[in-house]
Amino acid sequence: MTAALLEIEEATRRFGGLVAVNEVSTHVAEGELVGLIGPNGAGKTTLFNLISGFTPLTSGRVRYRGRDITGLKSHQIGRLGIARTFQNLRVFPNMSVFDNVSVGATGAVGLPFFRAVAGGRRRSDAISRRSLAALERVGLVAQADDLAANLAYGKRKYLEIARALAMHPDLLILDEPAAGLNESETAELAAFIRSLRDEGLTVMLVEHDMALVMSICERVVVLASGQKIADAPPDAVRRDPAVLEAYLGVDE
Amino acid sequence: MDPYYVQQLAIGLSLGMIYALMAIGFTLIFGVLNVVNFAHGEVYSIGAFAGLLLITAFGPPLLAVFLLVLAVGAATGFGLERLAFRPFRRFSDEASLKSRAMREATLMSSLALSIFTREAMELVFGSEFQTVPLDYLINEPIALGPVTIVTGDIIIFVAAAVMLGGLQYLLTRTATGRAIRAVSNNPLGAKYVGINTNRTIVLTFVIGSMMGALAGIMVGLYYGAIFPAMGFTPAVKAFVAMVMGGLSSIPGAVICALIIGVSESLATTFVSSVWADMVAYSFLLLTLVLFPQGLFGKGRDRV
Repeated sequence: MTAALLEIEEATRRFGGLVAVNEVSTHVAEGELVGLIGPNGAGKTTLFNLISGFTPLTSGRVRYRGRDITGLKSHQIGRLGIARTFQNLRVFPNMSVFDNVSVGATGAVGLPFFRAVAGGRRRSDAISRRSLAALERVGLVAQADDLAANLAYGKRKYLEIARALAMHPDLLILDEPAAGLNESETAELAAFIRSLRDEGLTVMLVEHDMALVMSICERVVVLASGQKIADAPPDAVRRDPAVLEAYLGVDE
Repeated sequence: MDPYYVQQLAIGLSLGMIYALMAIGFTLIFGVLNVVNFAHGEVYSIGAFAGLLLITAFGPPLLAVFLLVLAVGAATGFGLERLAFRPFRRFSDEASLKSRAMREATLMSSLALSIFTREAMELVFGSEFQTVPLDYLINEPIALGPVTIVTGDIIIFVAAAVMLGGLQYLLTRTATGRAIRAVSNNPLGAKYVGINTNRTIVLTFVIGSMMGALAGIMVGLYYGAIFPAMGFTPAVKAFVAMVMGGLSSIPGAVICALIIGVSESLATTFVSSVWADMVAYSFLLLTLVLFPQGLFGKGRDRV
């Protein structure tokens, strides 16, 4: 068995009386492509927020490469090698495509203030190279100087992925990347995510599009009402009665 | 053209540069936090008093005075953020970063800090004008052909141009500047790509306050008038420049600050100095009525 890159142990998050995520434990192995699905309000995004340090855990732990990262700030977690994209895009609209990505490349390096101000040619060259490589990877080099706000919606998704890739992450968390894409765009995205996995990147994918998740993920974690109800390969999940019930609302 | 008008134009430009330096503080902070910092005028007064204290205590060269004032400004900005803004940012999600409640809370806290600081300065120094040692006044006349301006006009113009140029370089060419722009574009997105948003916010306070403090000492030495409430008027003018410029556009704020400065100077010439203050307010009214997004605003792209 390959080593677990990310381990989640009984992660719990309460918002007042609502238990958004209830004692969820799972792990992601190095090089794996894991899907996270569940009906609306199942706690998928909350779980992502717990992992990326945006929302503090009520109880439980998150470990990354064996190191306890519970309670770290999100920019620190970003620098450790966990990059994420957002369900509703969070690109920087008034900056150029290139600058968007180079913020990712720089943030990951975590420049100390004075060196960041002084620039330092060699370091900024490294950042440019990294940024260009990430843009190349998603096919946006030609638009590098365009304003991010002027990109088409689908392209902005790739821009956000490029920004995450420029951080050179070991774990990439994609929050509903297919939302708002049409069928052919979704197929293209599926192939792209697969290719990232094939290059050795570990990917965690939250998605509403069941077909997408089932076709590319090796393992699927299913959440319902904040609880994990399944954690198995796609075929097994598809037949799991608990999953069917959660999705179809089968009566007892 | 009558040299007298050229002279007024030069004075208007240096006045506009002062407003521009002040407006930067408002604009940068509005950019990252969507709030107005009401204590900005006091930063200006603190800058002037810090310079004056140094001058009366040690009498160093002018450049040293400016450098110390910049340092004091930086420290003031840092403290200001800690005291009036940080406590209302306990939750760092985007909703509370840009929420109305947080905005209104910091309006109050920065206003409170502003009143407190001004009163404290009046308690210590008294509310009347302080005398500035004559050697330090920057009002030596310089004759440029038929036009006569004073050293202060040049010093203010050059110092402000250097600061503004430096800021432009910082924002567009350095990683730190990209971080500032990223945070004002989308704080949460910035966080996730590894930017320390809190540090970036502090930095905007530090930069804005350095410029405000420098503006304060330069005006103090230009007019020879340093008093605790001196920051109020330029802060209002700078605020108008920010609104005219479209709230978070730095070039917009600078251009509008220059427009206000020159118009005031011309109003003094053609009408009377009593009317000069009306200029800024009329501009504000006209902008709000005719260009609600500001002259250089980009519309509502920052939801």
